[in-house]
Amino acid sequence: MKKQITISLIFIFCVLTAFSPTKSAQNVDTNAKIKAVFLYNFTKYIEWPEASKNGEFTIGILGENETLYAELEKMSKVKKVANQTFSIKNYNSISELNVPHILYIPADSTEELNKAVEKLKGKSTLIVTEKPGLAKKGSTINFVIVGSRQKFELNKVNAKKHNLKVASTLEKLAVLVN
Amino acid sequence: MKKLSYIAFLLLFSASVFGQNKLTNALYALKNNELDKAKELIDAAIDDSLFNQKPVAWYYAGNVYKELFKKHELKDKQSAYRIQSADYFKKSIDLDTAGTYQKSSKQNLKYIAETIYNHAASSFDVQQYPIAISNYEKYKSLLSFAYPETDFTEKDIMFKLALATTYSRLAEKDSINGDMYLDKAKKVYEEVLELDSNNVSASYNIGIIYYNQGVEIVNNMDYSLDLEQLNNVQDRIIELFKKSLPYMKKAYDLDPKRKETLIGLQGIYFSLNDIPKSEAYKKELEELEQEESMKQTSPQDVEMQEE
Repeated sequence: MKKQITISLIFIFCVLTAFSPTKSAQNVDTNAKIKAVFLYNFTKYIEWPEASKNGEFTIGILGENETLYAELEKMSKVKKVANQTFSIKNYNSISELNVPHILYIPADSTEELNKAVEKLKGKSTLIVTEKPGLAKKGSTINFVIVGSRQKFELNKVNAKKHNLKVASTLEKLAVLVN
Repeated sequence: MKKLSYIAFLLLFSASVFGQNKLTNALYALKNNELDKAKELIDAAIDDSLFNQKPVAWYYAGNVYKELFKKHELKDKQSAYRIQSADYFKKSIDLDTAGTYQKSSKQNLKYIAETIYNHAASSFDVQQYPIAISNYEKYKSLLSFAYPETDFTEKDIMFKLALATTYSRLAEKDSINGDMYLDKAKKVYEEVLELDSNNVSASYNIGIIYYNQGVEIVNNMDYSLDLEQLNNVQDRIIELFKKSLPYMKKAYDLDPKRKETLIGLQGIYFSLNDIPKSEAYKKELEELEQEESMKQTSPQDVEMQEE
């Protein structure tokens, strides 16, 4: 029996090519989330004076940092500082600045640090920056990159100037700067 | 004694004729498309010691079962008729030392293998992928039996890419076993790179899996995570981002104009806090997008604008 064989057309190439993957990188600012976790931890290990323990707990960002702002907004919906709910603010300029519990100054707004320090002199605000050397120039906490990791410098003198008590646990984890 | 020998001869002769009839009748039934009858006859023939060492019987059996497959189970991805048909053609080839049916049996095996291949391809989804795996193995086994010199490299690559994609999809759907599936996907992509070290898709996808695993850890991190734990998490994610980097760079070297790779490199370097490099890839991406949008503006559009 020499029957003619009809060989089916192989369509597999189109099918497999259709499955050839192209999953995109997730568009996430991982650093913003990590910083938000740091900031939330600071509220646990730093004590603000009694007068600051009422009302909302305000975190302000001076200038542009959309991803951090969005991350802090998310955090504010699920976390509190003792009984205080979070309020996240964005200040476009020093003139808008009141007295937040934490003032975050992104790298791009670093030139505003001196004015912010001046305006918040003696006030109970934790000033947080993110550029090398700024813990020596007025901020209490300064984020630094060490071996690709986010670390933070702590200036205890500046903390004291803003009436903030820093727990020893936080000191141990920080790079201390005077 | 003479009489007994005569009876024995008659018995043997009638058995032979009857057996031969089974085979001939099976072929006749097959030609008349009476497949159930053909099956019954050929089943009896290959069970008969007179024929079960003859390649022709197994060759006919292969054909009968192939037609049964085509008639009843053409869309059945795990058709039993098809497998049986293949087994019979293989048996025929094994017995066919004279080579009378070899060529046709091999062509039939090829046909069967290709239908199995097609069914492997159409089974690549999160439910049916085990069928795809087993069918692809059957396909290779049958085709290499018929044509041992067959080079499967190209098809292996495509199969593995499809399988790895399926594992990635499973990881998305099954968060509990997500990492297990991603590890499987990475392993299969590595196998692709062993076959073709310049495979852009495999390089890119391994890179993106490592990167997205790091991102997922960050996404799932609780805000109240202790600082010491946060340091551990950072160590883990940096390790993942660093693992991702050489694969993504390789994908970039192989195809520098691929947007996904530029997005990936931008994200990896950003997550590694290497902002200048992240910015450099971002710039490259913007330039590429600008280039593309310029290309999309047709000459006619330009003329109309000029008017």
